[in-house]
This record gives sequence, structure tokens and C-alpha cells, in this order.
Amino acid sequence: MLELGFWSFPLLLLLIFLRAPIGLAMMACGICGIWLALGDSNMFLAKLKTETFTTFSSYSLSIIPMFLLMGQFATLSGMSSSLFKAAESWLGHRRGGVAMAAVGACAGFGAICGSSLATAATMSRVALPELRRYGYSGGFSTATLAAGGTLGILIPPSVILVIYAILTEQNIAKLFLAAFIPGILAAIGYMITISIYVRLYPNSAGTRSPVPYGERLRALLDVWPVLLVFALVVGGIYLGWFTPTEGAAVGATGTGLIALVSGNLSWRMFVDSILATAMSTAMIFFIILGAGFYNSFLALTQMPQEMAGFVLSHGFSPWLVLVLILAFYLVFGCLMDSLSMILLTVPIFFPVISSMDFGLVSYVEIQADLAWEALSSGAAEGMAAETLQGIKASLAASVELTREQMDALGIRLTKGMVNRIGSEHLAIWFGILVLIVVEVGLITPPVGMNLFVINAMDRETPIAATYSSVLYFVASDLVRVALLVLFPSITLFLLW
Amino acid sequence: MSSVVIRIARTMAVLGGLVLTFLVLLTCVSVAGRGMGTFAHWNLLENLAPGLATAIAGTGVGPIQGDFELVEAGIAFSVFAFLPLCQLYSGHAAVDVFTSRLPRRANLVLAVLWEVILSGLILLVTWRLLFGLVDKFANGETTFILQFPVWWAYAASFAAACSAAAVAVFCAWSRVVEAATGRKLMPERGEAGA
Repeated sequence: MLELGFWSFPLLLLLIFLRAPIGLAMMACGICGIWLALGDSNMFLAKLKTETFTTFSSYSLSIIPMFLLMGQFATLSGMSSSLFKAAESWLGHRRGGVAMAAVGACAGFGAICGSSLATAATMSRVALPELRRYGYSGGFSTATLAAGGTLGILIPPSVILVIYAILTEQNIAKLFLAAFIPGILAAIGYMITISIYVRLYPNSAGTRSPVPYGERLRALLDVWPVLLVFALVVGGIYLGWFTPTEGAAVGATGTGLIALVSGNLSWRMFVDSILATAMSTAMIFFIILGAGFYNSFLALTQMPQEMAGFVLSHGFSPWLVLVLILAFYLVFGCLMDSLSMILLTVPIFFPVISSMDFGLVSYVEIQADLAWEALSSGAAEGMAAETLQGIKASLAASVELTREQMDALGIRLTKGMVNRIGSEHLAIWFGILVLIVVEVGLITPPVGMNLFVINAMDRETPIAATYSSVLYFVASDLVRVALLVLFPSITLFLLW
Repeated sequence: MSSVVIRIARTMAVLGGLVLTFLVLLTCVSVAGRGMGTFAHWNLLENLAPGLATAIAGTGVGPIQGDFELVEAGIAFSVFAFLPLCQLYSGHAAVDVFTSRLPRRANLVLAVLWEVILSGLILLVTWRLLFGLVDKFANGETTFILQFPVWWAYAASFAAACSAAAVAVFCAWSRVVEAATGRKLMPERGEAGA
């Protein structure tokens, strides 16, 4: 049965590379696998009676169509041009400033839109003509927007993070929070890339005179609805005002209202938003359904656990395994869309990663944090002088506190609690890394989806020109991934 | 024929979208109601403006009971109703990097093969859903809070799944005819929004 599990994966990839719809390939492999493994058809036939309905009626998955609808309304809200105007008035006069503004506006738009393609397409409509007007070269402009589009998914809300959270049973709010700093870093990295690029190729960008400050402030004020919706949705979910699904509903209503007020939401546009939401929703849910069947088949064969056990028993370095997995995602991200890839591979890779120790949290450090907190809030009062002395000495030497010392401080911490925090942090860190590397695939030639979408909007620019410029942005992505791998705390420190 | 199927797919998608929009608004109203309820019972408000607090509480604002049960039932219908559009406009995610190098004939064969299997699977899902519906009808299961029979939700989903099955049969048949005669029957990929 185990062999069945191992062999199903290459077979599945073969079907996918032969252009089978990914959800179909997974579901077919899953159903046939369950059939072969159990030797009769009753099991999957019984499962099919409720499984489809249960998947489609899942409350936690209902967040996906709501976020998609929110993104569709966001593209109609006119916020893309306000964001671009604001960013452009502050940055436009710098060298490469209009391109930087496009990246900044993409980041802002990413805060109300959870999809990469929608962000890239919407911002291109606004920014491409402006870039052209100020003499930015075609390939540089399209590459900038393609890269900027990936911010749509990095900066929360993000549909892919939602899927990852559900697959790995993690807290969506914490994942959103953790994605925030890497998202900002991405925007900054792209801006640095732009400023290097325009110094390497001075002819690729024109210049423009600065805008007076009064006008800049006015432009900045115009983007308040974006901030409001973002703060309400992400803040509200994080503070526990509402569940993630409710947050998505609030966000969809918010962007819908903005679109309505801006006068862009006619009945016709509303129907178009619905149709676009319908296409993406059906595609995503069909893949989720297929993945559900494939994963229950894998679980039946115990392949993921065996694989984790195999990796663990051979004592590979966790960092090596992580780098190999990320490299795998980088390569496959060039071939497959990010969502399918996550649904396909996370159930296999996640058990491997979560069985490893990256030393993200240490018992002694958490204990010391708690101890200092207790001391500063007055636990020292009434404590025997020598006990206090002993605690301070242990803290200074980073030595584990004894049970009595912890009792004296009134703190409770067990190894189990630390392990739980550790595995949560590992899951979140890994999720953000995976999210970033699969997104790199969206802008990697030859098949990055974002490149196609934007190139289709700019007929005058040959795709080869986009390819050669976008490599600089890919390089910036790789540097960021390396940073996040080497310093997990960049991702995790907001969670403390 | 083709125009009838297109109309079915689009109508179902719009219906599903309207249900989705309704659920979004319902959830928002529920959140707002809960927020107002919390506000009315907020200590500070009860101390500062007891009259206002009682007035708000007296209007009976609060979350909509069992809203999530409606969301679950409705969203299932929506997703089933979105399926026909997605299949008709070839919206399902697939990897075409490798097959684009293959000769045209091979691509046509692959298109027929996958469309037929996909349609078969959708028929299978619809058929099994009917049995699920029959089960739920027979055992009289109701939801926890609103106490409405679970089979209602199954029935709505089954109706949408039937439209998906009908469109699936059309798609499979069209691909076969397209491959055999070279006549174009299916709409192009991604034209749904236009």
C-alpha cells in the first residue's frame, strides 16, 4: 500500500503535465488509489455521497469566494488610481520614481485584494500609460508591474495563505500578521531593484518635476478608504472581533460600497464581477475537492508519515531539507499555478518539515522572558533575598530556572507549551517562505502568469524585453527568501 | 444549442453570485448586530449613558442566530452553481507548458480525453450527491441552531449540480465533435467576463 502512495505522485505529475485539469488529476488519482488500496469501490462511493457537499459547504472555505468578490469589487473601486496618484506624487520625481510609485500602489492595492493576477492587471491599467508618458522603457514597465502584482498575494488578505492555514490547521490571523513584514520588505526590495536598474540603464526611465507638498497630502488623503477597509478586515480578524470569514464579508461589503460610491458598480459590472468570482471560485474549489480525495488516499497509505520518518531517520540537516523543498517550489512554480502547487505538495512536505527542529524557540529564552515580565510587575516583592539572587544569577547566565524558582515567580511553563509554540512558529514561517517562493514562479520566465497577463495589455512590448528586465526582480525575490530563511525572526517577531 | 448552454451556465453563475452576495450582506449585518449588542452591554456605556444602553439593548439588536448555517448551506449551492461556467469556459487550472510542444492532433485528443473524464466525474459527483440527499431526507437530520432539515441544502446543491452535469455532457460531446469535424462549438477560454 505504501508503494501505491509513492508511485501515485509521479503518475499524478505525469497526468498534470499532460494537461489534465489539476483538480481532476488529483481526484482521479485519489479515487483510483482508494479503490486499489481497499480493493472495493464501496468506500469512495460512500465518501462521495457527502464529501463534495461537505467540502463546498465548509464555513472556513467560504472565506475564499468572499475574498475573491472583495478583490473584484476592489478592481472597480477606482482605488487603484487614487493609490497610484498618491504614491506617484511622493515618489515620481526620483530616478525611476514612477516605477517605484507603481510598486507602492501595488502594495496598497494588495491590502484590499488577495489575488496576484487581479492586482497586476488592475494596476497595469492605471500605471502603464503613465510609465509610458514619462519615458519608461516597455520591458522595464511591464516587469515592474508583474513583480508588483505579486504583492497582491503577499500582503494580507491573501487567498493562498487562507488555503495554507486550512491545510495545516493554523491560525489565519497569525499568518496574515506574519506575512505583513515580508510583504513590506518585498515592496522595499522592488524599489531598491528599480533604483539600481535605472542607474544601470539610464535610458530606461525619464524624469519629472516634484509635486508641491499640499498636493501630495491631498493625494494621500484620497486613499483613506483603502486604509479603513484593510485595518477593519485584518485588524478585526486579528483582534478577534470577527472570524476570518466574517472579516472577508466585511471586506467585500466595504470594497463593494467604495465601488458603488465611485459610480463604477453598474449592474453590468456587478454581473462581470460575479462571473469572474464564479470562475475562480469553481476552479479553486474543484482543486480543493480533488486534493481532499488525493490526501485521504495518501493518508491511507501513510506515505507522508513514512516520508517524514525516512528523512528524519537519515539525519539530514533540517536546513538542507528546507532549502531543497524551497528549490523544488521555485522550479515547479515556473510550471504550475501557486494554489495547485500548495494543495498538491503541502500535505506531503509539511509533515516532513514539522518533524524537524530548526531551533526557532528555546525553552530557556521563553522562561527568561516570562521571568523578566514577572519581575517587572512586582513578583520580587516579599521574595526571600537569596531566591531573588538565585533567579537573577540564572537569568544572567541564561541557565534554566528550577521548579522552585518558577513557583516563586508565579510563572507556569512546561516543555510541552514551548513545543506547541515552536511548532506553530515553524508552520507559520514555512508557510510564508512557501508563499514567497511559489509567487516567484509567477514572474519567472518562461511561463510566469503575471508576465503573460501584463504583456497582453501592452502589445508594443515584446515578451523578450519583459523577460530580461524581470530577472532583476526575481533576483531581489531570491535575496529576500535567503534573508527570511536565515533570520526567521523577521517573519515571526510580530507574533510575540 | 451552444447559446442555450451558455445561457444556462451564466444564469447559474449569476444566481450563485447573488446568493454569495446575500450571504456577504447577511454576515455583515450579523457582525454589526453583534457589535451593537456588545456596545449596549459595554460597562462604560452602561455607566455613562444608561438610558442609551437600555435603548440599544431594547431594540433587540444582536447577531443573527445561526447565520453560519445559512452561509454553509448557501455557499455549497453557489459553488455547485459556479461549476458549469468554469467548465464551459475551460477555467479549470491546467499546465500546458509541455503539451504546447506536441502536434495539434495530439492536443485535440488530450482535450477530448480530459473533457470526457471531467464530465464523467461531474456526473459521478451529481449521482452520488443524489444518494446523499436521499440519506439526509430519510434520516431527517436538521441543523443545530436553525433546525432546518439538512436535505434542503442538499436539494439546492443537487439542483445546481444537475445544471453542472448537463453542461458537462454538452462539453464532452462538443469536444468530440470538435475533434472529429474541426467545427468550433465551445466558447474560448476566459471569455466569460465579456
